[in-house]
Amino acid sequence: MSGLREKILTTASDLFQTQGINSTGVDTIVAAAGTTKMTMYKYFSSKEILILEVLKQGHQDFQSWLNDKLNTNSKKPAEKIQKLFDYIEEWVTSPDFHGIGFIKASAEFPKEENPVHQLSSEQSLQFRRYISQLATEANIKDADGLALQLSLIFEGAVQAEQMKRGSGAMKYAKMAAKILIDGAPTH
Amino acid sequence: MEIFDSPWLINMLAKSDTTPQGRLLSLFDILDDWLKAPHVQTSLHLAATRHALLIGYCTEQARALGAENPAILAEHIVLIAHSAAQQTLATHNTDSTSLSHAKKAAHALIQAQTQKPELAFASKTTRYGIAASLLLAFGIAALWLPDSIQNQPLQVQAKSKLMPIPAVQLMPSNEKSLSAHDATLMYAKYEQMRQGTCQLPEALLIPDKHKAIYLDNVVGGKLPANLADLAIANSYLEKVRCNFTPMLMAASK
Repeated sequence: MSGLREKILTTASDLFQTQGINSTGVDTIVAAAGTTKMTMYKYFSSKEILILEVLKQGHQDFQSWLNDKLNTNSKKPAEKIQKLFDYIEEWVTSPDFHGIGFIKASAEFPKEENPVHQLSSEQSLQFRRYISQLATEANIKDADGLALQLSLIFEGAVQAEQMKRGSGAMKYAKMAAKILIDGAPTH
Repeated sequence: MEIFDSPWLINMLAKSDTTPQGRLLSLFDILDDWLKAPHVQTSLHLAATRHALLIGYCTEQARALGAENPAILAEHIVLIAHSAAQQTLATHNTDSTSLSHAKKAAHALIQAQTQKPELAFASKTTRYGIAASLLLAFGIAALWLPDSIQNQPLQVQAKSKLMPIPAVQLMPSNEKSLSAHDATLMYAKYEQMRQGTCQLPEALLIPDKHKAIYLDNVVGGKLPANLADLAIANSYLEKVRCNFTPMLMAASK
């Protein structure tokens, strides 16, 4: 049933976030999900496929969470990009934050030709395009440039936070983002 | 070849600029030049390890420019540089603007950590001027000392309370090029200075290239990074004149 598929997916996602992707074995996942390897392989033909599915799901959740937050709380386009880092900070500093899938995955799979690495690069790019879109809506001239700067700051802060909880990196990231957004020329 | 962990990169950074901010931001220019040079466009892998040497160096610069949290600033800047370098390599494109945008991002982070938009402590020279004049007025009794010898209570005289100057914050010393003996001698001198009111009016006349050493190692009480700097720092330490309050008087306060 699809309920079981979901169960495996969320269990794997939790384990990957808390224990790391490479160090979580298939045995651990099936034990924690209360199922068998056979069942797991019925839904996900390999661990790699499972990792890719977890990443896709996680990224989708992240994007829609962010979208909801921005759309319900900020009406003006110029406001959205300003608020972006507020929400991200809120989320990153919350107690159950264990890192962002695509950032962790690209660190664990550094080889360019690896499918997990490729997917995480793609997701990082999607996130950058999303910021770029917000920047365009806010009338910023070099929307792509600003998006690149902001995504570098954001990913760096998340990495720092993943290495050491409560590092404070996110606080400065937020301030730096504001400096960059305020300083970006508009049309 | 792991450029992020190479002493070559540290050397390039050290001579790239006269200000700590300039040295931090040069990281992006140096990497950009290096990655776009024809000979490195091979398949180069940037290992996802923590670049301890580079982060250590950047932490020093971050501290020198007065960052609120030098360790985090350094870590963040190196992470950004690493990601941007990877992007530059991945595109195999000499027009890649990743590192120049990364530089802007790093600059904003420096601003975020120094709050006041670079007015009060604009350059090393300005800060040096302030430190030197404070020395004239109060002496350098209020030395910051490493944790290793800070277990003794600080007997700083009230009149020598210095305003906190970002430039003279102390960093934990983990320099390898100095022997334990050199370190002991310097600490002994610092400890001695700490007991009295010390002055070096000639500090205002120190040549520019020695100012950083004077600030960090004599005023800041930090161990120099290498033997050449140690010799210079020692020569200034020798010139510092101290008035010592007799022990009995100090104890009776």
